[in-house]
Amino acid sequence: MSSVLEFKGISKYFPGVKALDNINFKAYGGEVLAFLGENGAGKSTLLKVLNGDYQPTSGEYWLDGEQKKFSSPHEAIEEGISIIYQERQILLELSVAENIYLGRMPASRRLGVIDTRKANQMAAAIISDFGLPISPTDKVKDLSIAYQQMVEIMKAYSRDNLKVICFDEPTASLSDAEIESLFEVIRKLKAQGKIIIYVSHRMAEIEEIADKVAIFKDGRYVDTVKVGEVTEQQMIRMMVGRDLGDIFADLKRNDRIGEVLLEVKGVSSDYVKENSFVLHKGEVLGFSGLVGAGRTELMRAVIGADKRKSGQVILEGKELANRSPKEAMDNGIVLVPEDRKLQGILSNLSVAGNINIALMDRNSNGLGIISARKEAMEAKKGIEEFRIKTPSPDKKIVELSGGNQQKCIVARGVGTNPKVLILDEPTKGIDVGAKSEFYSMICEFARQGLGVILISSEMPEVIGLSDRIIVMKSLRIVGEVKREEATEDKLLSLGMMGEE
Amino acid sequence: MENRKEKKGILSIIGGDKLILLVAIVIVFVLFTALNKNYFSWTNIVNLMIAASLVGLVAVGHTYLIIAGQNDLSPGSLAAFCGTLAALLLSKGLPIVPAILIVLAAGVAAGLFNAWMVNSIKLEAFIATLVTQNIVRGFAYIICDGKPISISNKAYLAIGKMRILTIPLSVWLMIFAFIVFGFILSRTRFGRSVYAIGGSKEAARLAGLNPQRIITTCFVIIGVLTAIGGIVFSSRMNSGQPAANVNLEFDAITAVILGGVSFAGGVGGMFGTVLGVILIQAFNTGLIMVNVSTFWQYVARGALLLFALTSDYIRKQRREKELLEAAMKNIK
Repeated sequence: MSSVLEFKGISKYFPGVKALDNINFKAYGGEVLAFLGENGAGKSTLLKVLNGDYQPTSGEYWLDGEQKKFSSPHEAIEEGISIIYQERQILLELSVAENIYLGRMPASRRLGVIDTRKANQMAAAIISDFGLPISPTDKVKDLSIAYQQMVEIMKAYSRDNLKVICFDEPTASLSDAEIESLFEVIRKLKAQGKIIIYVSHRMAEIEEIADKVAIFKDGRYVDTVKVGEVTEQQMIRMMVGRDLGDIFADLKRNDRIGEVLLEVKGVSSDYVKENSFVLHKGEVLGFSGLVGAGRTELMRAVIGADKRKSGQVILEGKELANRSPKEAMDNGIVLVPEDRKLQGILSNLSVAGNINIALMDRNSNGLGIISARKEAMEAKKGIEEFRIKTPSPDKKIVELSGGNQQKCIVARGVGTNPKVLILDEPTKGIDVGAKSEFYSMICEFARQGLGVILISSEMPEVIGLSDRIIVMKSLRIVGEVKREEATEDKLLSLGMMGEE
Repeated sequence: MENRKEKKGILSIIGGDKLILLVAIVIVFVLFTALNKNYFSWTNIVNLMIAASLVGLVAVGHTYLIIAGQNDLSPGSLAAFCGTLAALLLSKGLPIVPAILIVLAAGVAAGLFNAWMVNSIKLEAFIATLVTQNIVRGFAYIICDGKPISISNKAYLAIGKMRILTIPLSVWLMIFAFIVFGFILSRTRFGRSVYAIGGSKEAARLAGLNPQRIITTCFVIIGVLTAIGGIVFSSRMNSGQPAANVNLEFDAITAVILGGVSFAGGVGGMFGTVLGVILIQAFNTGLIMVNVSTFWQYVARGALLLFALTSDYIRKQRREKELLEAAMKNIK
C-alpha cells in the first residue's frame, strides 16, 4: 500500500499576512508532487507547518490514516518527514557519516562510546545505494555544494521510516549535471514509494521530474494538475490568477524622459565592485540579475548605507558625498529597502509613526519638539495618496497586510520629496492586487519627473515597467537592454552567463 | 452604567498595565503598614523618596537605553566613583563648582566610553557595560586608596540637606528629571528616534536616522544622571565611598521593566518608570523596615526582577496575540 499524506483545512496566520488559507489536498507515495506558486503563495509555509516548524492556526494533516502534529522539525524527522532546504543544514566540520547519523551515531550499549567504524560502514552502504563518488570519512566542508546536499538527502534516507521527503528549491545553486544526479536520486526514492514534494520556480525542471503539480496562489490551494495534461501557460495563469501582460499593457507609462538626473561613476564598496550607470528624469531604470548579483549592494553604496570605497555620485551635475542614508535623503535620493521586515518597517511604531519617522525635521520646531498636528496631517496625506488600507493612522504597522506595510515605507520615502527613488524588490511577497497598484504608482512617479530605479527579480515586472534594464552579475554590471529589446531569455542569459 | 463609563475613562488614560502597577503599589503600602505602623508616616515617605531619588535618576537613563535596545550595568560603580571623585577634589581644596563640573564630565566620559564599545567594537551593551562596571569600580578604589573620603565643604553638604517646600532637593531633582526627560521622550525628534532604533536599528538608519549618535546620546544621558546621583548621594553621606551603590543598576533596571519598558526594546514610557521606581523603593524600604535580613533582601530583589521580566514576557505574548487577532480581522 502506498503512503497518503492529506491536508485538511490547514490555515496559518501571521500578523498582517494570511499565509495559508484553508488548504485541502492529498499527496501520494510513489509520486513526485511539485508545488508551484509565486513568492509568498504559501509553499514554504506549508512545508514548515508539515514538519512542525510552524503550528497551523487551524486545520490538521494525516499521514497514512493517522493524524500528525509535531512540535518541532526534529519530531517530524523522527516520524519520517524530512525537508531538504535551500540553505544546507549540515555541519561542515563533521564527516559524511557523522552528519548522516548526527544525534544517533551507533554506540556501544554499556558506555555509550560512539562506534565510528560501524557508522562509516552503514554510511558507505547508503552512499553506494546513491552511487556517489564520496567516502564516509570525507569532511563535508571539502565536498561540493551538490554533494553537501546529497549528504542531507542521505541523512533523511537513512531513517528506516522515511515516508515524506520535501525539496525546497533544491537546484538553486546546482549545475546541470548536478541537477541530473539529484533527479536520479529522486527517481530512486520515488520507486521506493516515498511521498516526494518538490518546490521550485523552474518550469522546465518541474516538467522533467514531477508527476503532478499542486498550484498555490496567495496562500490558497488552487488545484492539482497532471504534468503533460496542461500547458505551461495554463499553469502560470492558475498561479497568477490573470495574465500579467494585461496589467502591464494597461499602465499609463511616462513617455517623456528628460535629461540626465543621476550619474554613478565607478562606485564600489566592500560588497560590490566598481560600477557606473546613468539615470534620466522621468525614467524607470530596471536592475535585473540573480539574487546576490550585487544590485542591492550597489544601491547601498550609492546612498551611503555601506561605505563607498571609490567613485562619484552626481545628481543634477552636483557631486554628492552621501556619507549616510540620511545625507542621501537630504540630497534627494531615497531607498525603499528589500527586506521589509528588518530594514523597512519599524514594527513597534504605528502607521503614522512609520510614515513620519523620515519627516521629523519638517514636523518639528527648532527645539526638536514635534508638532502632533503636522504629524497627523502628513500621515493623513500619505494614507490617502498611497491608498493605505488601515482602520486608523494609529494602528500598529504590523497589523497591516504586507502590501499596505510596503505602501507605508514608500509613503515615508516619497514624503521626503526625493528626486531619485530606489525601489528594491518592492513587490516581494505581496499579493497580485497590491502588485498592480504598485505598478501604476511607479509609472506615476516617473510621470511626475522622478528618476526611479527598480530592482526586481521578477522578470515580467522589470520588463513591463522599465524603460531600460541594467543586468548585473557577480557584483558587476554586465549589460544594458532597451525596453523594446528586452525578453526574459535575454535578461536571464545575461544574468547567468554575463553575455547574450 | 455611569460608573462603568467613568472607570473605562480612567483605564484608558492610565492604561491597563499601569493600573496593575498602581494596585501593586497600594498593596505594598498596605502590607508593610500592617507589618510596621511607621511605614506610612511622613518621615518614612520622605526617606523613601530620598532613597528613590538615586534609583530614579538612573532609571530615567535606563528608560532611554532599554527602549533604544541597549542597557547599562555600570551606574552603580559610576555613582560610587563620582561621589568619591567629588570628595577627593573637594578635599584637595577645589571649589564646589569646578568640582561638580569635573564629576559631571566623568559621567559624560563613562557614557562615551560605553557608547564607543557598543558602536565601534560592536559589543553587546550588557557585556560592554560590565567592562565599565569593573574598571570604574576599580578607579573608585584607586583614587582614594580604598578608604572613604569625608567631605567638609559646607556648600556641597547642603546639596543633600537642602529642602524646598519640605521636600529634599534630591527628590526635586528626580521629579525634574522625570518631567523633562519624559517630555523629551514623548514629544521630540530625539525621543522618537530612540523608539525607532529600538524597533529596528537598520530600518531606522535607512529611514534617515543616525543610530550610533542616538545610542551615544543615551549613554551620555545615563552617565550624567548617574553622576548627579553620585553627587547627591555623597553629599548625603558626608563622604565619598568607593564601595557604595552596589546593585544600583539592578534596582533601576527592575523599576524600568516593572514600569512596562520591554527588554526587547522599542516599547514603554516614562510614566511607567515613575511607577516602577515608586514600587521598587516601597518594596526595598519595606523589607528593611520589617527587618528582613540583608541576605534575604537579595533573594527578594531577585524575585522581584524575575517577576518584572515574567510580566514583560506576558505583555509581549499578549501584544503578539492581539496583533494576530487584529490581523486576522483585517484579512477577513
